[in-house]
Amino acid sequence: MLLEVNRLEISYGDVRAVHGADFAVAEGELVSIIGANGAGKTSILNGIMGLVPVRNGTVRFRGREITAMPAHRRAHEGIRLVPERARVFPRLSVYENLLTGAYGLRKKIPLEERLRWLYGLFPILEERRDQPAQTLSGGEQQQLAIARALISDPKLLLVDEVSMGLMPKLVDQVFDLLQSLNRDHGLTILLVEQNARASLEISHRAYVLETGSVVMEGPADDLLDDPKIQRAYLGLVEEEVERRQ
Amino acid sequence: MHLFLEQLLNGVAIGSIYALVTLGLTLVYGILRILHVAHAAVYTVGAYLGLLFFKMSGSLLVGCAGAMAGCAVLGIAIERLVYFPLLKYPPYVPLIASIAILLALEEVCRLVAGPYILTFPAELPFPSLNLLGVDIPSSVMGILCITAGILAFLWFLTTRTETGLAMRAVSQDLTIADAMGINSHAVVSFTFAVGSAIAAVAGILVGIYYNQVYSTMGSVPAYKTLAIIVVGGLGSVPGAVAASLLLGIAETLLIGYAHIPLPRDALAFLAMIAVLMWRSEGLFGSR
Repeated sequence: MLLEVNRLEISYGDVRAVHGADFAVAEGELVSIIGANGAGKTSILNGIMGLVPVRNGTVRFRGREITAMPAHRRAHEGIRLVPERARVFPRLSVYENLLTGAYGLRKKIPLEERLRWLYGLFPILEERRDQPAQTLSGGEQQQLAIARALISDPKLLLVDEVSMGLMPKLVDQVFDLLQSLNRDHGLTILLVEQNARASLEISHRAYVLETGSVVMEGPADDLLDDPKIQRAYLGLVEEEVERRQ
Repeated sequence: MHLFLEQLLNGVAIGSIYALVTLGLTLVYGILRILHVAHAAVYTVGAYLGLLFFKMSGSLLVGCAGAMAGCAVLGIAIERLVYFPLLKYPPYVPLIASIAILLALEEVCRLVAGPYILTFPAELPFPSLNLLGVDIPSSVMGILCITAGILAFLWFLTTRTETGLAMRAVSQDLTIADAMGINSHAVVSFTFAVGSAIAAVAGILVGIYYNQVYSTMGSVPAYKTLAIIVVGGLGSVPGAVAASLLLGIAETLLIGYAHIPLPRDALAFLAMIAVLMWRSEGLFGSR
């Protein structure tokens, strides 16, 4: 397993955000964690990235325990995050934002080649290369956040609520892109989403998170067909659920 | 006319020194959102250390290098031992701690060096100049050249190096900078070291310019630089430099030259009040 998370517990003060979540991601997989707002999805990704302290449990990456490793070292180990609401550096230019993703690696990666590849995926970023990131639209900032995470050629990409605040057409584009990165480039992706349908449709497997614990798991296609999931997360009404059985 | 130009240059020199002290304050505010009042004490310690190393070695260059190194260490110690553990509290908590450090360091200086005004018998190694009848003394030349050099270095560091990119990223989003592989705590410490080393230079320049080093020499700069960063726009380096230069010139011309019967130090606060009333984000601030 590329990533193994056991009995993960994360709390903020007295509030327990995640208690005892178990899950794993194998190399080459696209896995999603779906759940309602406040189920602890973002906390899980931040715990894997090392941005919030883990109260209990272990995180293992490529067989090594990294539970206590600081975030910047995890990034250099090959874990990269596309944060919720993009969180690009607002007053850095688009180009400088991309360079932050390659911080400390400029001599180790073929930077020019990576930039050319990313500009091919996201032509708008080349067009807006020297603009401050805060002048970009929400969708463009999201693309920049993905490109910034990809520039270092990560081994595991963590994607946090990438569909939030995007127009439906853009959501489809972004999910298509994530699927092709996984399928054509072998990138391992762990996706955390409120938009359950879109994420299940591109995922191999999925976990369902409720109030900080994993309550269901399985192949994404099975979950798409599961009546409970259809009612709770896919927004189908009763007749539709029955018709699909 | 010549007198006016000479006064103007004096004003620029004084403004330059304000700028050197204020830079550290601005860098720290930009990166941690803390009003680092104790920075003025680092400047005082810099003057004392510069004097000490100068007397020991007989070389102003050695004195300056020693003071810069000593103050860089002091700045990192303040950040690691006091501010970092307090970051999780509301901003007034580190501010109160900062005031405590200012007073404590002043007392340490007074206890170690004694309650006297020491002289700083050094000459800046710069030529005096006579440009079209305007006399520029070597001290003013030195202050102007050194300040220009430091500003050029800072500009290069922040805009042309990977470390500078990391500094700007950390000041805009510390958590996400970590996720990008930037060791933001190390970047914060580095920022304190740079700001504190520059404060040491300012302390030495003031010591030489007025030929005075004493334990409370940081008291007036402590609050005056606060007024300057508010006028310039909190966290804006160009704003801090512009406000410093303007203040130095205004103090010298309006009060020294035009004989306006106001205490010289009042001007900074009048400017601060005016800015807060009409343009609360400061001259160069955003938002």
